[in-house]
Amino acid sequence: MKVLLVYANPNAASLGAAVRARAEVALERSGKELRVIDLYADGFDPRVSDTERRSHHAPAAVRPAIDGYADHLRWCDTLVLVYPTWWSAQPAILKGWFDRVFTSGIAYDLPTGGQRRPTPLFRNIRRLVVVTTHGSPKRINMVEGEAGKRIVFRSIRSMCSRRTRCHWIALYNVDRARPQQLESFLDRVERRLGRLR
Amino acid sequence: MRVLAVLAHPTADSFNHALAAAAVSALRSSGHHVDMLDLYALDYNAVMSPAERVAYDTNTPILDPMVRKHAELVKASDVLLFIYPTWWSGLPAILKGWLERTLVPGVAFVFEDGRVKRGLTHTRRIIGISTYASSHAAVALVNDNGRRVLLRALRLCTGVRTRATWIGCYRLAGMSPADRAAFLRKVERRMASL
Repeated sequence: MKVLLVYANPNAASLGAAVRARAEVALERSGKELRVIDLYADGFDPRVSDTERRSHHAPAAVRPAIDGYADHLRWCDTLVLVYPTWWSAQPAILKGWFDRVFTSGIAYDLPTGGQRRPTPLFRNIRRLVVVTTHGSPKRINMVEGEAGKRIVFRSIRSMCSRRTRCHWIALYNVDRARPQQLESFLDRVERRLGRLR
Repeated sequence: MRVLAVLAHPTADSFNHALAAAAVSALRSSGHHVDMLDLYALDYNAVMSPAERVAYDTNTPILDPMVRKHAELVKASDVLLFIYPTWWSGLPAILKGWLERTLVPGVAFVFEDGRVKRGLTHTRRIIGISTYASSHAAVALVNDNGRRVLLRALRLCTGVRTRATWIGCYRLAGMSPADRAAFLRKVERRMASL
């Protein structure tokens, strides 16, 4: 398996950093090929620029940073996203990675004319995995509607293989979690990522 | 009423800018005070920095003077109005980052004895105006996740009587100039009748 892990967390001393470390261990130990993108370390600017927006419908011009990410996305068969959930969705730096990289000519082709749907180009991706932590309890997230989960498992998934399977590995109520619960979450991350086929 | 309008589109001649201009002028001519934040024009930094993430857990979560000014505007406003294009069924990163950096503890909510207390009880209404490439049905299928963030997650920080207004502009690419003009008039009417 070829796994692309995208990590979005500003805090090197956070639970998220521990999750990323554990995920990498689990994936490598179970014999997967692994590439990692650390958006904060890359200093990624998540804002779609005026120029990018204006060329939105044209095939993407050469943009070194974006093309590098696109190559990784074309290489992998499994996309693992590791991030803290903020305002019930991905941190801006990761949302903007979708906005800027998943563009016409990279993530999909727009058919010319008519009302036909875009053709997905990430058919190589057949597993979508989200590992995320929520400050608030699960019931609050249910009320809020888990926007981040649906952005990945519905919108992003629509550009991947039709048979893509989704795995949601989440810890809720982190703000009041006991150390033991954090530890068992890390174990769960390791177990589930190690089991990926 | 005092309205804080937040606009998140990179292109100055976009339909989003036209929508914002229509909404703001209709609100002003009905006697409302409007503060406008055009995030791209402000060159707003969408990313919560490592230092800000650390500060988030302290009593002084805001480090950037621009963010402090925006937080004061949120506190002083009766209405929050968001104008943005829906991308990947969610908010554009610049607007998502604006929520993350502005609506911190002490602004949108407060942590008290381990409980979360609403901080936006003075907000009387949240209004969203968004453009979509897809049809209403296609948006419903993936869930309108940007709308959910604003009308559910953010709504939970406001008072129980805070009202919500949503104006969606679907299938934007398929709209003729006449359709667009009609839609702008609709936005003006809705804003004038608040």
